[in-house]
This record gives sequence, C-alpha cells and structure tokens, in this order.
Amino acid sequence: MEGFDFSCENFLDSIDFDDLFVGMEEGDVLPDLEMDAEMLAEFSVSGGEDSALSFERLEDNSRKLLEHDEEEDKLSSGEETVSKRYDESVVTVSNPSTKEGEKGRKSSGQSKNHPGKRKVKVDWTPELHRRFVQAVEQLGVDKAVPSRILELMGIDCLTRHNIASHLQKYRSHRKHLLAREAEAASWSQRRHQMYGAAAPAAGGGGSKRDNGPWLAPIMGFPPMAPVHHFRPLHVWGHPPPMDQPLLHVWTKHMALSPPPPTWPPPPSPHPPPPPSDPSFWHSHHPRVPNSLTPGTPFFPQPLVPKRFPTPPVPGIPPHAMFKVEPGMIAAPAGQTSPRPPLDFHPSKESIDAVIGDALAKPWQPLPLGLKPPSLDGVMVELQRQGIQKIPPTCT
Amino acid sequence: MGDSSAAYIHMVQRLIEECILFNMSREECMEALSKHANIKPVITSTVWKELEKENKEFFEAYTKRREERASEMDAIQRIHSLLLETSSKDTNGNDA
Repeated sequence: MEGFDFSCENFLDSIDFDDLFVGMEEGDVLPDLEMDAEMLAEFSVSGGEDSALSFERLEDNSRKLLEHDEEEDKLSSGEETVSKRYDESVVTVSNPSTKEGEKGRKSSGQSKNHPGKRKVKVDWTPELHRRFVQAVEQLGVDKAVPSRILELMGIDCLTRHNIASHLQKYRSHRKHLLAREAEAASWSQRRHQMYGAAAPAAGGGGSKRDNGPWLAPIMGFPPMAPVHHFRPLHVWGHPPPMDQPLLHVWTKHMALSPPPPTWPPPPSPHPPPPPSDPSFWHSHHPRVPNSLTPGTPFFPQPLVPKRFPTPPVPGIPPHAMFKVEPGMIAAPAGQTSPRPPLDFHPSKESIDAVIGDALAKPWQPLPLGLKPPSLDGVMVELQRQGIQKIPPTCT
Repeated sequence: MGDSSAAYIHMVQRLIEECILFNMSREECMEALSKHANIKPVITSTVWKELEKENKEFFEAYTKRREERASEMDAIQRIHSLLLETSSKDTNGNDA
C-alpha cells in the first residue's frame, strides 16, 4: 500500500479506491455471475427504448436474473437524461469505447451514449464509496444485499450489478484486512505476554540485573511459570537501548489486554482482541499511532510488522518475536537512558531460590532453551579433566 | 550412572542458562555455581564449552553483547565522573 498521508484533509479525494482492488477482478464483473453471450442475446432489447421503461425493465431483469451487460446498455441509453441531474454528484459513469480497452476506471464523467452492448463502468469515487459503505454498515455487512444497498444509496445511475460486484470486492478486501489484523494482533499479544511475564521477574529478581539482550528475562525464572513452553531462543537479538523502559511499557499493556497465549499465529478468523475496533474496514490497531479514527472509510491499514531496530541475527525464525507497534516504542520515549547495567549482582536469596528450583523441579523448561550439549562430549571431556563420576561426591 | 549423569548435566545447563540471564561470563558462572550449588568449576566450564559448541551463534552474540556493554559501561563511567567533576567545580567557584 502506498504511504497515504492521513493528516491531509482531502485524502479521501486523493485516494483512488480502485487501487485497493488491484488484483481483484478488473472491471465491473462478478465472475460467478457472468452470463453467456447467448443468454445475453435472449434478453437483448433494442437500444432505442425509453429510458424510464428501460429502467423498469432493468429492475425486473435484475430481480429475475443475474446482471449482465444488457443493463449497462439500457443505462447508457438513459444516461444522458440522468447524467445532467447527477452532474453535481460524484457519480460518474463512463462508457469505454471498447470492451477490452479501458478496464481501468480512471475515465471519468463521460456521459456518452453508446449504443449497443457496453459495459458501463462505475467510477467508485470516495464519496460514492462512502455512501456505499454507509449503506452496507446500516444493513450489516453480512446481510447487505445489493438491492437494498442500492435503495439506501438512492443513486439511480448505479445498477444492482455495480453494487454487487463492488460489494464482493469490499467483502474480500475486508477479509484480507481482518486476517492481517488478527495476525498482527496475535503477534503483539504474544509479545505482550512475553514482556508481561518477564516484568515481574525482572522486578523481583534483583533490581540491578541487566536484562539480557535477547530478552532472556522473558523466560525468566522458573517460578515465573512461563505461559507456554515456547522457546524464547529466537530472541537473541541485539536489543535496543531502551530495553528497560520498554519492559515497563509492556507490563502496562499486559495489564490492559491479557489475552490467552496462542502459538503459532494462525490468521484467525476471529475478531481481534477487545481493544480493537470491531469495524475493521474503518479499524485501526489501537496501538498504532498513525491510525485513522473510525469513520474514515476505505483505509486499509498498512500493517507493516515493525521490528525492533535489531540487526538480523541468524537463527531467529521468520515470525520474529520482535514485532512491535511504533506506539509502544513511542510511549517510553521519554526515558531513553538505559538503566546502567553495571553489575548483575543478584541477591543471594534469589540465587538460592533459583538453584533450589533448578534442583527441585528439573522438569521445567530451560530458561533459555539452548540446545543441550552432547552428553558424550561432556563426559569425555570431564574424564579428561579427571572427573570420573558425576555428580561428584565432593566439590 | 548414565541417567544420573545426564540429569546432572541437564541441571548444570539450566543453571548456566540462569547465569547467562544475568549476563555472567564463563568464569563468573563457574564461581557462582561452585559457591551456591556446589558444582565443580571444571564441570561448569566443560558444560559451558559444550553448550557453546552446540549453540555457536547464540554464544557469539552473547559475547559480543557483553563486550559492547562493557564499553558502554566505560563510557557511562567516564561521563559520570566528568559530570561529577564539572559539578564540583561549579560549587567551588560559586560565590553569591
């Protein structure tokens, strides 16, 4: 998606909604609703009919059948009369001179009367689309039926076919958005968990402790009971200097949204977690600072997974844990000075606790999940050093 | 004996990982484990080295990180002492 400038007032105008549908069926076509040429011919009526009549007919036809070029045809003949009326409105219907040419919807406002079967291309301007969306929302996205939408929009120049195909694209686009957002949400959720789980450990386990580069504290101490047996190994990056403050931020957010852990991230069809706006088309991830407020139509959120400024460290799996919303980073921006991680002296009590736990609960997952050394290697080496048995009986 | 060795080594690995969470060096780790868990430094050292072999990338990053932090520490220390110096000068020269 291009970088839209959301602050600009008339950005609606600057958006060509057609671009959003790039890759989708070009032209005003509902692929599964297309009819054969032969069938079309059956319903072909000469182009000289009265516009009023033809509209009626249109409605009839549309109810009985699926849309086809014929209607556009009728529309074009009646166009001249209506076009003046609708001049002010942003609805522009254009007639491409050839069917193959001009699939793009850039041509605007030509109210030429082309006889014969022509596909009338609807120019979905921002204003038009906004009305469309309004109508859809009113009806409910899933229940929105083209004929009703048409009624609600009250624009004569649009046919049910136009609406239907636009609706199809709209729905498909929404799904896509939804999926992306759900994925994004679940990533950041997991991230919050990680940090949220870590924060108490970081606080409790020795205040001067330097929290490791790879966010090791996340899988902190065994007492932390990590939410899932998941390998934080991947986190070995170089952390940003604002590692410390961020931990606090994460805690806060952790408090806000305690979602259940999910692993791995399936793009779930479910709505994203509570904080998000349920109306996805207008939605924005609440933590994204540059998000649009609801009500601005048609803004597909460019959910680019933002990362910590970590240099790529090999071994990090593709679905990096480091996805972070910029808002998160912005929040603690005030306190950028890292806590001087000079020494690491954990208190004796915490050490004892840790060791005690290690001894008592060996089944717990390893804090870092490093690959275990080869047993043989270790044994051989130890024997070389003169240690025959382990555990040794004396220190 | 095999089983208990494995378990033991596993435990040592766990403890080493904990130490890594504290950003300890190998030597510090050896000392800590010896002091608190009665683990012979040689054992700690061996397990550490083997872990290093198995997790080369991790340890490379770890080491690098530690070094970076060390130099950061230095810089901070120097700035700190500089500030102290400056502030003390101010106080000295302050007559009002």
